[in-house]
Parts: sequence; structure tokens; C-alpha cells
Amino acid sequence: MTLTSATDVAVRADGVVLRYGHTTALDGVSLSLGAGVTGLLGPNGAGKTTLLRVIATAVRPDAGDVSAFGHDALRGPGRLEVRRRLGYLPQDPGFHRSFTAFEFVDYVAILKELTNRSARHAEVRRVLALVGLDAVRTKRIRALSGGMRQRVALAAALVGDPALLILDEPTVGLDPEQRMRFRELFADLAEDRAVLLSTHQTEDVMSLCRTVVVLDQGRVRFTGTPTDLAGLAAGRVWTSDSRVPGALASWRTGSGAYRHVGDPPPSAPLLDPTIEDGYLTLVDLRATEAQR
Amino acid sequence: MTMWHVPDDDLRAYAGRGLGPPLLWSTETHVLSCSRCRSRLTSLVAVDDGWARLDAALDAPRPGPVERLLIGVGVPDHTARLLTATPALRLSWLIAVAVTLALTALLAKAFTPVVFLGAAPLLTLVGVAVSFGPGVDPTYELTVTSPVHAFRLLLLRCVAVLSVNTLLCAAATVFVPGYGLAIAGWFLPSLALTVTTLLLSPRLGPVWAAILVGSAWVTTITWAGMVPFTTAGQLTLLAAAAVLSVLLARRAALFDVLSDRRLR
Repeated sequence: MTLTSATDVAVRADGVVLRYGHTTALDGVSLSLGAGVTGLLGPNGAGKTTLLRVIATAVRPDAGDVSAFGHDALRGPGRLEVRRRLGYLPQDPGFHRSFTAFEFVDYVAILKELTNRSARHAEVRRVLALVGLDAVRTKRIRALSGGMRQRVALAAALVGDPALLILDEPTVGLDPEQRMRFRELFADLAEDRAVLLSTHQTEDVMSLCRTVVVLDQGRVRFTGTPTDLAGLAAGRVWTSDSRVPGALASWRTGSGAYRHVGDPPPSAPLLDPTIEDGYLTLVDLRATEAQR
Repeated sequence: MTMWHVPDDDLRAYAGRGLGPPLLWSTETHVLSCSRCRSRLTSLVAVDDGWARLDAALDAPRPGPVERLLIGVGVPDHTARLLTATPALRLSWLIAVAVTLALTALLAKAFTPVVFLGAAPLLTLVGVAVSFGPGVDPTYELTVTSPVHAFRLLLLRCVAVLSVNTLLCAAATVFVPGYGLAIAGWFLPSLALTVTTLLLSPRLGPVWAAILVGSAWVTTITWAGMVPFTTAGQLTLLAAAAVLSVLLARRAALFDVLSDRRLR
């Protein structure tokens, strides 16, 4: 199944609550995903990985509903249908390290019900070529670099041409060129499918995402475009020749001038905010609210 | 020099591996001795296809000895691959199990059969514990979110481990003669301990579940000696295995998602 328009909803989560022990990991999370890349941002421990696991059907929440492509993703035959359309790259993808790259992706292809040997092997070759691992497909995983392993894991997620891709920090461990290649690939893939991407890389979000969701302490704090997120810091980013105490964030740039995020002093020269500035402002606003 | 040459259709069929005997034999003999037909054949053979086939054959996974054995007895290749991705079905593991069983059997012959009867179920237990689950199967999270039912895969691996261990244990009983059928008393404890471990694994994880159950078993045979291997003991274990199996089947859904331990 492919998504024909950006308004087609692939995934809908409604009031998802998940607790373990005394910790509330997700506290009434609601969101919907359509075609294109949706970026999930948030500080460590915000609940990003837990939310991805819930949508990827790995974890059943304590309350709330999740549906994908019209199927109930939490129970019964609907969950199986969702799994058939899912490509999932976990945060910490595990490998049978004695397998070759080909063998590992082949193993995942079997898990995805590709039982015909020749068709399966053709699919394995296709996805390995897609992530640029054609030349090392017969190398054992333990002999591959961290970046290459990450690409093997991505190839495994792409097996079967899934309509929904859930990627938990896929660009971790990649060098700048590899990250650029991944961006190209994600952009191509997202044309007719939903891609949910959790990341700490704000450049990835800015360059790829149609929508960005900011999660903090298990709650959705922001949903909008990357430009909207950057806009939250409009009028709050300025420059000066010296450090200014009291700014939310302040650092010396390569040009020698200081860049500040926070409430500017009168007549301070303002700068265009970035998505990072918007994110910082949002987190600060949340912290201020929490203090009240 | 022959004036006859292989007709185009036959040569095309030969190139495409579609020619059957006896025409295949005569064509092959002729092509070997006729440079003109060899040359025509070259133009008909899709060289790229040939390279692609060769390439595919070279990078295709090569099954290991246990996988080959499973395929040989009729297990589909994809199922065999899923089964043998557990360390408990690797040749090195099986050799270690066989050697341990042989040693315990020799000790049992010299001292008491309890050594063998008590150790054999533990080896099966360890094999099952490392078959599937968080912390032992690196692809656990991927498996849980795949369309292949995790519980089905778990059962398949357990049955495979149990079957192979049963064969090894049965072979090891040769070293402990003179006890008749009583020396097969390890089988029902193996079954009961395995099912108990599986039942506990969603809550404790497979390793801790196996350690707990294994410790309980060692304590039992230390205190009770041969009692679990008497008729009454075996009937009790059979009943326990049956009841626990029903319970396990009812809790199958627990294996279909990550357990709570995995989240922490």
C-alpha cells in the first residue's frame, strides 16, 4: 500500500498512555502521520523510543488506541496487517554477528514472510544496493564498521518495500557524507510512504521533515512544520560581542561574535532563528511552566 | 567436417536449458565439435543472466551442518534458517552438550545415576534459555515486530532443541547400562523444566527464568535423590508438564510484544 497524498493518514495514535513501574513514559500522546517524513524530537528520556515501539507494535500501551492503514495496531489480526506493512529500525539494532550482511538481511526477509528463496535473495540484493552495501554483502557483520552496520540495519528495515518506516536515530554513527546519502534515500522513500524518524540531529529534521513533533516527559509539546518550530524563537535570537549572562544559551561562533538565545536586551541585533533555537525555546517554556 | 548444424530453435532451447534428452545429448556432442554452432550459441546465451546466476550463487547464504541436516529431513530452507539462528543448534554447542552428557554418564556409571538423570534436563534447559528472548537473541525486537509470530518461532526452536537434546541424551544412556527404562527418566523433567522456564520468561527474561528453574531442580534432586525418577515422581512431572503447557498456550500473547524488562 502506498500513500497517494500528504493528507492520507497512515498512522493515528490517540491518547496513548504507557507506564512502567512508577514512571509514565507516555502520557496521553496523540498524533497522526501521513506521507512524508515526520521528525520526532525531544530530550533524552522524553519517551521517543517508547512511542516508536508502540507504533511499531513492539509494546502494548496501558491506554489509548493506535491504528495504521485502517487496522488496529494493538490487537488481533489488525496488528499482523500492520506488521506486514512495517519497516522498523530500532535504536539499538542487534545482529547475529557471525552472519554476513547478506545473511542478516536474508534472515530478516524470512521474518517478513518472504519464503521464496530466489525472490527473497533478489529483494536482499535490491535493499543492500539501495543503502550502498553491494560491495560488502558477503562480509561478516563483525568485520563491518559501525556506520556500515547501521546501513545493514536500514537495509533490513527496507525489505519488502514497507509503506510505514519507523527509524529510531538512523543517522547515529554515520559520517557527514553517509548522512547526506541517507537523507537522499529517506527523501526518495518518503514520496509515497510514511516515515517516522526519531533523531537528535536538527539538521536532519530541517532538511527532511514535512512535520515535526516535539515530545517531552511523555507529552506532545509541539506539532507543526520545521519552520513553525524555528519560528518559536523569532525575536529571541541575537548577537553581541561579549557573553551575556542570563541568556538561555550563549556561545561564541567561528566569527568571534556571540550568539544568544533568550530574551534579548533592547536594541540588540536580532538573527534569524534556526530549528535548534526553536527547540531550545520550547524546552525552556516548558521548564518555566513546570516551575509555576 | 559435418555439414549439419543445430537448428536455431533447438540451439535457443539448449542455451535456455530447455532442451531435453536425447536431443540435448546430440546437441551437446555437436556443439563440442563445431565452432560455428559454438559461435552461434554464444550469441544466444544471455551472458548477463549467466553472471547474475553465478553472482547469486556466490553470495547466497551457505547453510551450516545442522541447517543442512534439517533441510535434508524435509524442513523448508527458510524455517531451517530461523531455527538454526540460535546458538543451541550450532555444531560447537551440540558437541559441548554431547561431551558433557558423555562425562556425566561415565560419572553416573561410577557413582549414582542421579548425576546423569539430573544433568540431562539442565542441558536442555540451558539450550532452550538461549534460543529466543531479550538479551539472548540479538534480533529479538525485530522478530517481535515482524509478521512471523514470535511465540511460534519460540516453540519451533524449543522443539528443535528438545529433539536434538533428546537424541543426544538417548545416545548417552549407552554409557549407563543396567538401569533399563529408568535411565530415560530425564525426559519428563526436561519437558517440565522447559515449559516452566518459558512460562516465567516474559516476566524474568529467559536467562533468569532458566537460572531460577535450574536452581530449583538442583535443590530438588539434592534433597530428594531418585524420587523424581520413580513412577510416582514421573507421573507428577507429566501432570505438571501438561498443566503448565496449557497455561503456556493461554499466555502465548505475552510473547508477541516486548516484555516490561526490555523497556527499562
